Amino acid sequence: MVLALGVVFVRLTVLQVSQAADLRDRAVSQRARTVELPAQRGEILDRSGEPLALSMPARDVYADPRYVTDPWGTARALAPLLRRDPASLVELLRSEGSFVYLARQVDLPAAERIGDLELPGIGFLEASARSYPAGALAPQVLGFVGVDGGGLAGLELGYEDLLAGTPGERTQELDPSGKPIAGGIDVERQPIPGSSVVTTIDRELQFQAQAALEDAVTNQRARGGTVIVMVPGTGEVLAMASYPWFDPNAFAGTRPGVFRNRAVTDAFEPGSTNKVITAAAAVQERALPLDEELSVPWTMRVDEYTIHDAHPHPRLRMTLGDIIAESSNIGAVLVAQRLGPSTMASYLARFGLGRTTGIGFPGESPGIIQPLHEWSEATLATVAYGQGVAATPLQMISVYATIANRGRWVQPRLVSATIGPDGTRRGVPLAPPRRVISADSARTVTEMLAFAVEYGTGGNARIVGYQVAGKTGTARIPDPAGGGYLEGRYIASFIGFLPAGRPEVVIAAILDRPVQGYGGLAAAPLFQRVARAAIARLSIEPAEPVGLPPHALPVP
Amino acid sequence: MVFGIVVLNVLLAQQSFRIDAAERRLEALAVEHLELVEVQATLSAPGRIAAWASRHGMRLPDDIRILRAPSGPADPSGADPASTDGQGGW
Repeated sequence: MVLALGVVFVRLTVLQVSQAADLRDRAVSQRARTVELPAQRGEILDRSGEPLALSMPARDVYADPRYVTDPWGTARALAPLLRRDPASLVELLRSEGSFVYLARQVDLPAAERIGDLELPGIGFLEASARSYPAGALAPQVLGFVGVDGGGLAGLELGYEDLLAGTPGERTQELDPSGKPIAGGIDVERQPIPGSSVVTTIDRELQFQAQAALEDAVTNQRARGGTVIVMVPGTGEVLAMASYPWFDPNAFAGTRPGVFRNRAVTDAFEPGSTNKVITAAAAVQERALPLDEELSVPWTMRVDEYTIHDAHPHPRLRMTLGDIIAESSNIGAVLVAQRLGPSTMASYLARFGLGRTTGIGFPGESPGIIQPLHEWSEATLATVAYGQGVAATPLQMISVYATIANRGRWVQPRLVSATIGPDGTRRGVPLAPPRRVISADSARTVTEMLAFAVEYGTGGNARIVGYQVAGKTGTARIPDPAGGGYLEGRYIASFIGFLPAGRPEVVIAAILDRPVQGYGGLAAAPLFQRVARAAIARLSIEPAEPVGLPPHALPVP
Repeated sequence: MVFGIVVLNVLLAQQSFRIDAAERRLEALAVEHLELVEVQATLSAPGRIAAWASRHGMRLPDDIRILRAPSGPADPSGADPASTDGQGGW
């Protein structure tokens, strides 16, 4: 008897003294469960503070199959609330393991109705559902989030660290049925909400740009298109649209290519819109007097290639201003030959081609420029009129913004500020502008671009009461099968700014393979429509017009 | 003294329940605020407004019209120069 009591005493001592801590820890670990508390994701706002993306509280519904007593009954009760087929739910409720998701991001009212059913083995985790209240507005800019709430594309991805915040966690002791034990461990670390991102996008202008682009693509039976609206002095992007687009609220089933923000990620051969660089270089370098009349044939031979202007014409006397207005390829080549390959290449780089703009958008393309040491005479010729070089729409609009901004290149930007979880607003510092050409040279080029709209190929971009400066582009498209260009297929573009005398907005309008291939016919009207919307939205007043450049071709 | 401690405990527990209730109410109000923000953003979305306007026969103007307000010195009598002058331009 004494021996038995002694054994019990020793055993108790071992359990409650020497093994006490270990046994206590094991007991707690069996009962304690730690769950992550998701952080409230920051919002994405337009420039006026209107929400473009925000996170609504939601619940993930899960099941612990070990405690589901009636899989079919549970499935039938949940099916209408989760909008799922009962058979698929039964499969999950009968699965192996202790945890299986039944539905993610269920809205709170539905989650509450499920909770009221008090179904054994069914539980909830805090979650959030991303909402884009303006629907398919700037979707490629905003991007979207995955089922776990993390950014997968666009600004949602690019600013993930800021938007996501820091999740918290909660540790509780639970009874065997999964309910918290009163008086047990209940320790919580609060999540830190994400910061909000203030974009430069104006949602009204964005909508107008998208509506205009959609109509243009439809009317022209084009494959797609891009529109960008930018403030030249600050680089703020007021609108950025790529057609086709998608609704980020319901993007399942969308072709992956549609997610791309083509304005930033896709480079194309810009065609004649690139002649502005040729002209700017010639003016800045004084490669030829502005009133010199070059003798411009319709065709010319460079290396083993024959290049020509868009339409046959007799030999013409053309100044640099005429060459831009009439968009003469041969004229641009003659000018580029005066500059030489090294100077031409340096101006392409100065205007930002061949490198990313630094706008801070994921996947930005730097475009393509052949290294100078690989240039031939043919390269110089084709680059002069915008073939044999590839640039993104964003790079090209930045070129024109440089002219509009009196010769200074300004880094484009999509985000102007962030707002911390405590409400503190922090502006994103502006990168200092970079001088590319002198203000006088920019003024001269502006006169040429205004001349091109008033009397040249850009007539369809005119707006009564305003002087528009801009350039058409009709670029051939490289054949993806390899070698050469597609026949009869063009990228039509018009890039310009207004008012020419005091530029307040610069706009790029680009259509991929419109029926009316020419930039002046297909893209210039799109520019015009977007420009009218910008004038109204930004209350742009007319300005003193700029004069005409020296020209040889008669004007009405 | 024991009675006092018990009363204090009861008061603390009551306060704790009130704080819990207040926190839950705050959470509910925060959710309601967020929902209202979403509703406001959805209702004011430009696509929705444009569709409504179109259904009611409105359309965007074909061109830009610039209207200039008449300028000139203010009439000491307080009369509006635009209303007395037929060349107001409105």
